[in-house]
Amino acid sequence: MTDIIWCKKDVGGKPCDTVNYLDPYCFWNWEGKVACAECGTVYYIHMIQGHMYSGPDEKPGEKPDILPLYADKPNDGYSNYLPGIEGRTRPYHCLPRHIYLGKADMVKFSVRGRPVRGWRPQPPSAGVAGSFGYYWDIEKLSPEVWAEYQEKIAKGEVKDW
Amino acid sequence: MFEEDIKKLKVCDFDELPGPKSKEELDEMKAPFEEYCKKAFDVGNEMVKPEALKGIRWLSTTMYIFTPHSVANLAELGAECIKVEMPRMGDPMRHTSPFNEAYLYPLHDTRPMTGTGLGFTNANVNEYYITMDYHVPEAKRLFYNLVKMSDGLTECYRHGTFDRWKQGYRTLMEINPRFIYVWGGGFGYGPKMFGGSYDILGQAHAGLASVTGAHEDFGGHATKATNWVIDWYSGTQITVCILAALHYRRKTGLGTMIEFSQVQAATRCLGYTAPLYGRFGIVRQRWGNWDTQLCVHGIIMTGKTDFPDAQNPQDKFETRYVMLSAFQDADFQELCNIIKKPDLFSRYKTHKDRVGAPAQIEIYKAIEDWAADKSRSEVVRIFKENGLLAAPVMNDREVYECEHYRQRGTVRWNDDPLFGDILVHSGYSCGLMSKTPRRHRWQWRPVGADNVKIYHELLGVPMSKIQELYDKGIL
Repeated sequence: MTDIIWCKKDVGGKPCDTVNYLDPYCFWNWEGKVACAECGTVYYIHMIQGHMYSGPDEKPGEKPDILPLYADKPNDGYSNYLPGIEGRTRPYHCLPRHIYLGKADMVKFSVRGRPVRGWRPQPPSAGVAGSFGYYWDIEKLSPEVWAEYQEKIAKGEVKDW
Repeated sequence: MFEEDIKKLKVCDFDELPGPKSKEELDEMKAPFEEYCKKAFDVGNEMVKPEALKGIRWLSTTMYIFTPHSVANLAELGAECIKVEMPRMGDPMRHTSPFNEAYLYPLHDTRPMTGTGLGFTNANVNEYYITMDYHVPEAKRLFYNLVKMSDGLTECYRHGTFDRWKQGYRTLMEINPRFIYVWGGGFGYGPKMFGGSYDILGQAHAGLASVTGAHEDFGGHATKATNWVIDWYSGTQITVCILAALHYRRKTGLGTMIEFSQVQAATRCLGYTAPLYGRFGIVRQRWGNWDTQLCVHGIIMTGKTDFPDAQNPQDKFETRYVMLSAFQDADFQELCNIIKKPDLFSRYKTHKDRVGAPAQIEIYKAIEDWAADKSRSEVVRIFKENGLLAAPVMNDREVYECEHYRQRGTVRWNDDPLFGDILVHSGYSCGLMSKTPRRHRWQWRPVGADNVKIYHELLGVPMSKIQELYDKGIL
C-alpha cells in the first residue's frame, strides 16, 4: 500500500494539486512532518502499520522531518519530481542501476546482434478496426536498421547465440 | 505352475517378441538411445509435425497470467485460440511491465506511443487478438456466434459476472451443449466468493508462503517466490482440466463447467502439510534452503563468486550458491572427509541422527565454513570429483548459455513475425513430444490485430459493420 498526501493548498489562486508519495510499505510506522514537493507546505502525519492514523494536518512555519520520495501532478499530464531532487524529494539510496530509470530502452538489436522490431513509434496498422498484417519486413519498414544490420554482419558482430 | 502352462510359454511367435525384425531395425536399435531421442524429437523442426489440438477453437476472455496461461497451453499445442480484449486498452497485463521498460510497440492504432510490456510474455502465445466490449447489448450476437463456433471459453471475471451478463455457463450451454466453460479466479463460490486473486494471494492464502523462506529464528520471513509461480502453475492445472473435459466430451458429447479457484490450487503444492496436521496437529514451518526430510540436501553459500569482475550484480555478487545433496550415509561420510570434519560423521552416523534441526544447523555451518574461501565452481568441482551430487545455482544468463538447454531447444531464438529476434522458452520448456510437439509461432500481436480475420473471415460480418462497431468503441 502506498500512502499519499494529495496537496490541495491554494497557491497563487490555484490549488497545488500535487500527489506526494510516501513509502510504499504496508508496515510503515511513522510520525512526523512531510513537505509537499511542489509548494513546500508542511503536513503532519501519524501512520500505524501503513494506515494514516491521523493527519495530514497542515503545520505552517514548521520544518519538515522528511521529504516525499516522489511526487506528481495527475491533472497536469503527470508532470513529476523524481527521487533525489534537492529540496523537493529525498534521495533514494537504493538507486537502481542506470538502465532502470523509467524510460523505455529502444533496443534495435537483440543481444546476439539481430534486428528486433517494436521500438517506438511504429507505423500504424493501416487496417480496418486496428487489424495488423502477420509479417513486418524489417528491410522495407526500417531500411536504416536493415543497413546497420548489414554492417554488423560484415563486421562479424552477428552471432548465433 | 502347471506343466501345460509351461509348454504354452515355450511356444512363442518370434515376430511377436520385442526386438529388431530387419537389419535396418537392428541398426536403428543399436543406435544409442540419445541418438534415437534426438531423431525422434528433432528439436528445431517442430513446425513440420502435426498439432495435437488442431481443430479445437478456444475463446480467451482473460487477463494477467493465470487464466491466459491455461489458453496459451492449448495454443502451443495447436488449438486455434482467440483472445478477446477490451477495445483500445487490451489486457491490463500489457501495461504491467517491469520498470516500465522493454515495451514492444505499438499497442494499438489509437495509441501509437503505448506499448506492451514484457510481463505479457508467454501467457498468450500463438493466439489471435480481437477486441469486444461484450457486455454491451450490440456485441451479444457476435459473442454468441463465436460461442457457437468454438469448443470452449476461459474467463476470469468476478464470480457470477458473466452469468449476470447472460454469457455464463448456464446461458452458453443452451446455445452450444458441447461447450466447455472455464471460470478461473481467486476463491470460487463460498464465503470469500467475491475475493479477486493475484499470484501472491494464492501463495499466501493457501499457506504456501508460510512454509517458503527461512525460519524467523534465522532472520527469515514468510516468503513468496519472486516470479508468479502460482499463476503459471494454476493456468497449467486448468489446461489439465480442459484436456480431461475434451476427452469426456468425446465420449458423451457434453460440455463441462470448470470452476477453478487459484487459492485452492496452491494447496496442492503443499504435499504432506495437511495430512501432517491432521494426524499429529503439527503446523508445518519454514526450513528455507535446507530440507526437513533429508540432510544434507540443500543450498549452501560459498565465500567467493564465480564472476567477481562482472558488471552485472547478479553475476558479480550472486554466483556463489551451490545445491548439494549427500544424505545417504556413505555420501555423508565422504562429505565429512572433504570438509575435513570426520568427527561430524562419527556423531551423525545415521540419517535419523542428522536430519534433526540442531544437527542440520551444525552440519550446514560446517560446510559453509569450509566453503568460505572457495568459489562456487571450486565447490561444485570438488564435490563432483568425489562422487557427490552438486550443482551451481544458475542465473538467467547462465541458463541462456547452458549447452544442455540449447541442445534440447529449451531456450531458443525465434524470428517473431512482428517483433523480430526474440529469445523464448515458453512451450519449449514444457516437455518434448515426438509426434505432436508444442511450438511457438508468435509471442503476441497488437490489440485487435485479428479483428478482420475473426469477425469478417470467420463470422462473416460485413466490413462496413466492423467499421461501424469499431467507431462506436464496441470493437
